[in-house]
Amino acid sequence: MTSRGTPSRFLKSVLQNGVGRYVCQLKRVSIIFSKNAQSSLGIRDFIEEGVVDYAKKNPGTVVYVSPQPRRIPKIVAEYLNGNVREEIVTNKTSAQISELLTKLSNQSGLDIIRIRKPQHTDSPSIQGQWHPFVNRPPSIGLIRPLKD
Amino acid sequence: MASGLYMLSRGALTSGIHCQRACRNLLLPQVRGKKRWMKAYTFLMAKKLKLEGPPPPKPRSQQPHFDYHAEVQAFSTRLHENFSLELLKAAFINPCYVRVEQERRTALGVDSEVTALVLKDNTELSKKGAEFTKDFLTDWCRASFPSLPSEGLASIVGHLTGPEVVTHVARNLGVEDLTMSAEFPVPDDVLQSTFMAVIGALQESSGAETAGFFLRDFLVAQLIGKDLFDMWTVVNPMGLLVEELTKRNIALPEPRLIRSAGASTVLPLYFVGLYSDKKLLAQGPGETIAAAEEEAARVALRKLFGYTENRTPSDFSPPQQQHQQPRIQSVSSN
Repeated sequence: MTSRGTPSRFLKSVLQNGVGRYVCQLKRVSIIFSKNAQSSLGIRDFIEEGVVDYAKKNPGTVVYVSPQPRRIPKIVAEYLNGNVREEIVTNKTSAQISELLTKLSNQSGLDIIRIRKPQHTDSPSIQGQWHPFVNRPPSIGLIRPLKD
Repeated sequence: MASGLYMLSRGALTSGIHCQRACRNLLLPQVRGKKRWMKAYTFLMAKKLKLEGPPPPKPRSQQPHFDYHAEVQAFSTRLHENFSLELLKAAFINPCYVRVEQERRTALGVDSEVTALVLKDNTELSKKGAEFTKDFLTDWCRASFPSLPSEGLASIVGHLTGPEVVTHVARNLGVEDLTMSAEFPVPDDVLQSTFMAVIGALQESSGAETAGFFLRDFLVAQLIGKDLFDMWTVVNPMGLLVEELTKRNIALPEPRLIRSAGASTVLPLYFVGLYSDKKLLAQGPGETIAAAEEEAARVALRKLFGYTENRTPSDFSPPQQQHQQPRIQSVSSN
């Protein structure tokens, strides 16, 4: 598929975040894992080593740890704008999971889709938009189609 | 072929016998193999979904993984504010929730004297917050746009405190999850009063200055990229311009057609300039001469009121830095 056919948006932040103060957009993280499955080994390590540090470092994020039998281990991240992201962490190591959580808490929660331009402004032109009359002395006369 | 059939029938027979035996012994017979009931069941469920529609949305507080106290605390620290938690919790309780909860308890037959519902709703906080918001925003607008008339100020404040902006801000700050309301999804007016109550709680717990900075960061920031006349409906801009100019003792505007193109086409373009005392006040484009004149009047008004698109951005710096700024400027100028 060409890039034109994919969904896209302009670069923006939630509620002009960062103009006044920065608000961490991640409001809730649920860590779901199994107590004895092999695939949850990494996340169990992470819960032993890093989850308390993470919660202390991010007091604005509520962390829920819930062991559920025979579950695929996953991290469910809920953002302030209501979006929910589920990340499956099967067979991931503790370091990888810590990295993933940092990434999730740095994100804004807006859909991850193609961004049309790497910059955006609400006031596109300081001097005023260009039009054919800009810098054209009135003495030249009207703008009319070219004569053949 | 025949042997295959024989094998199949034999397999079915044996499994049937096995099933019967199992049924006698156990209540739940488990037969391995293709679950032939699954297709019918899936179809039934799909049909049910189509007939009944999706289930009604559930509030986040009734879903798993929700600790109200932790959520409220996180709400407070997330916004870098020191809310008093009791006040903040009271701010989230709406009168409609208290009423419905009371009715639910009487319907369940709980004695109202034994387990009294001691909840203070947010009516007072909301009223206080709404008042404070209005005062603060009016002061802020007056300081930022000193030449704007009072009607314009009122319409900007009305836009910022209106349901559209306030509910947008509240939804994106996670207020909706914590709001205790009778209905779900939370109605706009309930959400608006809850947000005002949160502001009231902030003002009570950490003072008017902090609450002012909160409003500046979250409500006033919504003004970015907004045009003045999107918020303020002016039917006759030329009349307003004449009024303003006579107030300031400037000569009345004189509209002149300064440029035009494609007058005989489907896309004509006219530029009207407004001259006052032989000086160009403003110029504006339009598809007809009347529209261009109106647009020029709007441009002139924006210039008069200091609300042009290229004005200096408002100051959103954090409170500690605001006092330091003059020193930095003096250093750079030396």
